[in-house]
Amino acid sequence: MNLGNLDSLNFFYPELILLGGILLVVISDISLKGLRVRINPLLTLAALLLALFYTLQTDHGSAMTLFEGMLALDNFALYFKVFLLVAGILVLLGSLHSEELASVHQGEFHALLLAVTLGMLLMANSAHLVMLYLSLELVSLTSYIMVGYLRSDRLSNEASMKYILFGAVSTGAMLYGFSLLYGMTGSLDLFAIRDALLAQEVVGFNQVTLVLVVVLTTAGFGFKTAAVPFHFWCPDVYTGAPTPVTAFLSVAPKAAGFAILVRFFLGGLSQPSGEQWAFISGIDWPLVLIAVSVMTMTLGNIAALTQNNLKRMLAYSSIAHAGYILMGAVLLTGTGLKAMLVYLFVYLFMNLGAFFVVTVIFNSEKTFELQDYNGMFRRSPFLAVAMSIFLLSLIGIPPFAGFLGKLYIFGAVIDQGLYWFALVGALNAAVAAFYYMRVMKHMILENDDRPPTPLRISTLNVALLVLLLVPNILLIVFWSPIDRWTANSITLFGGL
Amino acid sequence: MSVTDIVFILTAVVTVGSAVVVVVSRSLIYSVFSLLFTFFGVAILYVFLGADFLAGAQVLIYVGGILVLLLFGVMLTHRLYNLNLTTERFQPIAGTLIAAAVFASISLAAFKTKWKLVGEKELEPTTQQIGEAFLSSYLLPFEIASVLLLVALIGAAMLVRRRTDV
Repeated sequence: MNLGNLDSLNFFYPELILLGGILLVVISDISLKGLRVRINPLLTLAALLLALFYTLQTDHGSAMTLFEGMLALDNFALYFKVFLLVAGILVLLGSLHSEELASVHQGEFHALLLAVTLGMLLMANSAHLVMLYLSLELVSLTSYIMVGYLRSDRLSNEASMKYILFGAVSTGAMLYGFSLLYGMTGSLDLFAIRDALLAQEVVGFNQVTLVLVVVLTTAGFGFKTAAVPFHFWCPDVYTGAPTPVTAFLSVAPKAAGFAILVRFFLGGLSQPSGEQWAFISGIDWPLVLIAVSVMTMTLGNIAALTQNNLKRMLAYSSIAHAGYILMGAVLLTGTGLKAMLVYLFVYLFMNLGAFFVVTVIFNSEKTFELQDYNGMFRRSPFLAVAMSIFLLSLIGIPPFAGFLGKLYIFGAVIDQGLYWFALVGALNAAVAAFYYMRVMKHMILENDDRPPTPLRISTLNVALLVLLLVPNILLIVFWSPIDRWTANSITLFGGL
Repeated sequence: MSVTDIVFILTAVVTVGSAVVVVVSRSLIYSVFSLLFTFFGVAILYVFLGADFLAGAQVLIYVGGILVLLLFGVMLTHRLYNLNLTTERFQPIAGTLIAAAVFASISLAAFKTKWKLVGEKELEPTTQQIGEAFLSSYLLPFEIASVLLLVALIGAAMLVRRRTDV
């Protein structure tokens, strides 16, 4: 079913609420001089919660498109909308008591957070190349500003500049790919593109051009998901950005990037056939993405081994995780897609958790260096234990949630008989265990000579860490709702 | 060879030639002025494709707006005026190889792909069609573009604020 502009508004409440939130925050930032510090976070939180509420309320029946085919509303999009809004809420809470952001004016920060969330929701929904590009650009532009938010900090400025330059180049490459695709099919609508490609049976040189399209568009999506070889911006940007922003970048835009990657490649370049997806004959794009996935996790993990700056280490580790997540997307099966969604969900809690511990420690210690984490267990047992749980979860050790993600992903890969691919993933997980354990060793086993002074943590931050710990510990027991939810969420418009 | 062909070839030469000057010129001010011809050339190419509104917008926005802004930027920043524009790392062999490969694949794709062609079309004004598309099937992108501009404005305001005014 395709809805027109007016009818679509009924299903557009979450985005409209975010839009209203942006305007309210901007207005209150200008007009309420004294109150704005208190009111803006509340306004932002209210907008995000209300948007989440309406997203959960959305009952769309079967999959359909909105706004004359611009957006696709299906269970897949709804999953990502919930995911992104939860990520937005958690990052907002984590940014409230952050010393890095406390030193600068925060009014715009909240407006930008809402704008980037709006952009990501649209990204997850886009079914039209124009909308896809526009929402991607909205997310990118907002991210550039958020990364450079600490204006008096040189690293932050440099990070923002690098991010813009890389972003401009990869978006340009992606647009070139889109233009080739438009030239071949005469359409910008993803589903019309697929139909046109199927109808004319890609033969002769058009196959080569389609490979070019795949490579060029992968540059755009790879930039957003920080996949190798489009990852060069990632370590510098993650190190230079304020830590709450880094936490946000490592989870939310990455997930939105995977959403459009799946929608573009599965929705636009392949067709459903039974339980599986078959790609348009002539180009083996899954092989291109498998190569990207293997390179991504291997390079991310190996580079992380030697990092002594916690933020930089977690940046490389998030590159490696992008590789694992991509494993699920390239399988072209329902199980693979579901595994990807499960992995993303647990990744949200474990990765945000690790970054928030880093934020909290920076608040009082003003350092990201691994040496300065020595003796943390004696200074704050809670923090050390929390960090250990997040890290063990990132490794994928049972009984923590990360295990569930790895189980689903490797299970789906083995299901397809790609044993070597699963083996590469498992070897990578083993390498990753080394550098995560190293952090734990510094925090728990190594002590410096100074007498342990207790570390002060604000109540809000303790509550937030507990909130993030709960899913990491309990998901392994209560996994069936997640299983059902993700199994439901793999229905794509024009797909399975 | 008809007059149209000659005009087209002239335009193409000016567009590509000035774009090359933009890249290789050692002085920023030459690059910016040479960009003027590139933008004009692209506008004429739009006219050749029958996109009259786009050609007008190209001149108004790129030549009238962005280029003037760039010129002001260069002229007001006196240190940019005589800046030596070279990078620390210069890799002529790898760079040439990659550039040649990219050029070869893109030009091969341009010439050998079977494009979906619409054929010869009568020249007709496109402004009304674009306007109608903006308010019907492209309404959502049109509105979201305004959010993008709002974010850009917020970012610009944030960048220029004095450091003391936090």
